[in-house]
Amino acid sequence: MTLANKQLAAGWLFLTPATILIFIMSFYPIIQAFITSFKTGKGVNIQFANPLTYNYSRMLQDVIFKTSMKNTFLYLIVEVPIMLILAILLAQLLNNKDLKFKGLFRTAIFLPCATSLVSYSLIFKSMFATQGLINTVLMNLGLIHENINFLGTASTARAVIIIALIWRWTGYNMVFYLAGLQNIEYSVYEAAKIDGANGWKTFWNITVPLLKPTIVMTAIMSINGTLQLFDESVNLTSGGPANQTITMSHYIYNQAFGQGVGNFGYTSAMSFVVFIMVAILAFINLKVGDTRD
Amino acid sequence: MKKKLLSLMLVGAMATSMVACGSSETASTDTTTDAAATTEEGAAAADVQSADENTLTVYAWDENFNIPALQAAEKDYQDVNPDFKLEIITQSQSSDVENAITLAAEAGDYSTLPDIVLFQDHYFQQYVTNYPDAWQDANDANCDWAGLGAEKLSYSTVDGKHYGFPVDAGTAIFAYRTDLLEQCGYTIDDVTGITWDKFDEIGKKVYAETGKYLLCMDGDGNDLFYMMLQEEGVSQFKDGKPYITENETLVSVFNTLVTLAQDNVLYLANDWSDYTDQAIQGDMVAGVFNGNWIIPTIKKVDSNKGKWAITTAPTLTGKEGYASNGGSSLYITANCTKADLAKDFLAYTFGGRSAEDGQSTTYDDALLNGGVIGTCAAAANSDVYQQGVEYFNNQAIYADIVEYTQHVPTVEQSDYHYQARTALATALINVLQNGYTADQALEEAETNLKFEMGL
Repeated sequence: MTLANKQLAAGWLFLTPATILIFIMSFYPIIQAFITSFKTGKGVNIQFANPLTYNYSRMLQDVIFKTSMKNTFLYLIVEVPIMLILAILLAQLLNNKDLKFKGLFRTAIFLPCATSLVSYSLIFKSMFATQGLINTVLMNLGLIHENINFLGTASTARAVIIIALIWRWTGYNMVFYLAGLQNIEYSVYEAAKIDGANGWKTFWNITVPLLKPTIVMTAIMSINGTLQLFDESVNLTSGGPANQTITMSHYIYNQAFGQGVGNFGYTSAMSFVVFIMVAILAFINLKVGDTRD
Repeated sequence: MKKKLLSLMLVGAMATSMVACGSSETASTDTTTDAAATTEEGAAAADVQSADENTLTVYAWDENFNIPALQAAEKDYQDVNPDFKLEIITQSQSSDVENAITLAAEAGDYSTLPDIVLFQDHYFQQYVTNYPDAWQDANDANCDWAGLGAEKLSYSTVDGKHYGFPVDAGTAIFAYRTDLLEQCGYTIDDVTGITWDKFDEIGKKVYAETGKYLLCMDGDGNDLFYMMLQEEGVSQFKDGKPYITENETLVSVFNTLVTLAQDNVLYLANDWSDYTDQAIQGDMVAGVFNGNWIIPTIKKVDSNKGKWAITTAPTLTGKEGYASNGGSSLYITANCTKADLAKDFLAYTFGGRSAEDGQSTTYDDALLNGGVIGTCAAAANSDVYQQGVEYFNNQAIYADIVEYTQHVPTVEQSDYHYQARTALATALINVLQNGYTADQALEEAETNLKFEMGL
């Protein structure tokens, strides 16, 4: 063997264990799930559906799946833009060279995302309960006369989920923007100042374009995360009232483990649909964010 | 240099903590009866089976309710088998046990299961149909099945084979806050044997005077439909199919609930924890209607001692209403290698063999320590059942509940019980919040339920 060949062989040798593990741990289950998505029945009575696309066509008639899809996209459309804009503004503020206690503020804003998803959902749930903190405060301020059942009414329950999401994830995205901002040469801003650009102009014409790769990345991550939203729906509202806040992942879980023996064929099919949605949205995002034209 | 020192300290700390973990594991094996220690064990490793031939393992989920019952059974059985030990592995909720069975069965590996599991009755039949290999039947157990209550056994008997031993009866109670009723000029007798219309009238007055709701339920998992229908001897299913829009009784029950909710007589909590923590324990309500297993939840509020009383439920016609809801039984899993011991233990304790003389440690202690009301006829004769309960103003509620149990009508059951419950709960919310008419909402519920069942 020549030296080049030897090096090649060594490279493959090092790669092999990881490759095998990835195949067994990741790809094999994915393929299995795909096969399962063509099966129907419960427990040991599971078999290939007739026609094979039964689970996929069933989804089109499934009212609750459609509701869950609507809810998920509502969260996506409302929450992601608000959160990203807030994150970018906060990052801009905290990147100010003259700001004192920078570290403290950064930590404070990042802290929510160090809490566990379940525990923060439960805290929000107790805060917004009928006899919870928010109601007590509003009552004492005289703003309301009767406790509001925040989580028991569809519109307010959705709003609570969105507020919770913004609280939890804004700091997380802000950190990415902060990192992006550190990479922008300060001289660019100085040049803009000399040219007479005001703060708003600088933000739109320098900060935002230069942050574009970071914005695309955070947008993809947020979309991906929101489409797979689970903990908030399960722990905060249990999907209620009347499935008005249920997310796709929560519905998939309910169908698999929620009410007795699960229909794993159907849930696998739904999971693949979510997977395809994430892929399509990420693809569109990349295209939109692509600067090479 | 500093960094090196720091990393060294970290490694040292990790090593010590690992050693500490190791030693705690060995320590916990000595205290097998301690529920807390066994939980740790169960979580750390899948060590769900004991090598000792006199020890059985069991999954259970309620520290205030069924776990004291199992501890009582262990003590009871030690009378005949002094070496016997029961290892109770605490689960956080009943669905953990269902998931454990699902995961084991789907993986085709039952070695992760304990010898015995406590299992919700409404779910059991579908788990036998879909995972028949996960269970061992208990047909040849030495116990008097006839003494255990026919309605209860109808859940745990599949194709004529007995699988389970009942732990608690699900007989429903209607508990009222007598002090609040009195405030509005009513007594417990005024709310016994009345129609739902009369109930609505009283409820409106109670809300106006005290600000409390006379009835509450978890809005998502609304059990009221099932219980109110059972009182009338009607089911949500007929010949295995959903029986909703054409079911006149169901339509009446539905309209009743809409009225009750609109009149601020019925409070619909957002979910189960909201129902127990906010509505019941947060003192938002003057009435609770559910399976008698709700009693420990009510009793958690010490300051309401002596203010509650129980009676039967209202009905559409005004006769006294009897229903049953929930409850669980103990089942032997496929992974149990000591099936004979398990059957003998269960038959002796919950099967009622030790209660044949009218006194049973299992049932008496289960009642005293957990408030678990058994279904075993022989055990109900004991003095413990006849005693007054201080919390309920010395009413002999347990004897009353056993009495109620005799009157509960048996109605058609279905594997899709919980799906039906969700569909009807959704329909109710749709009328109350989303502007549906009752007909529209019920029609949608029926369509959704049929869809779910693949009909």
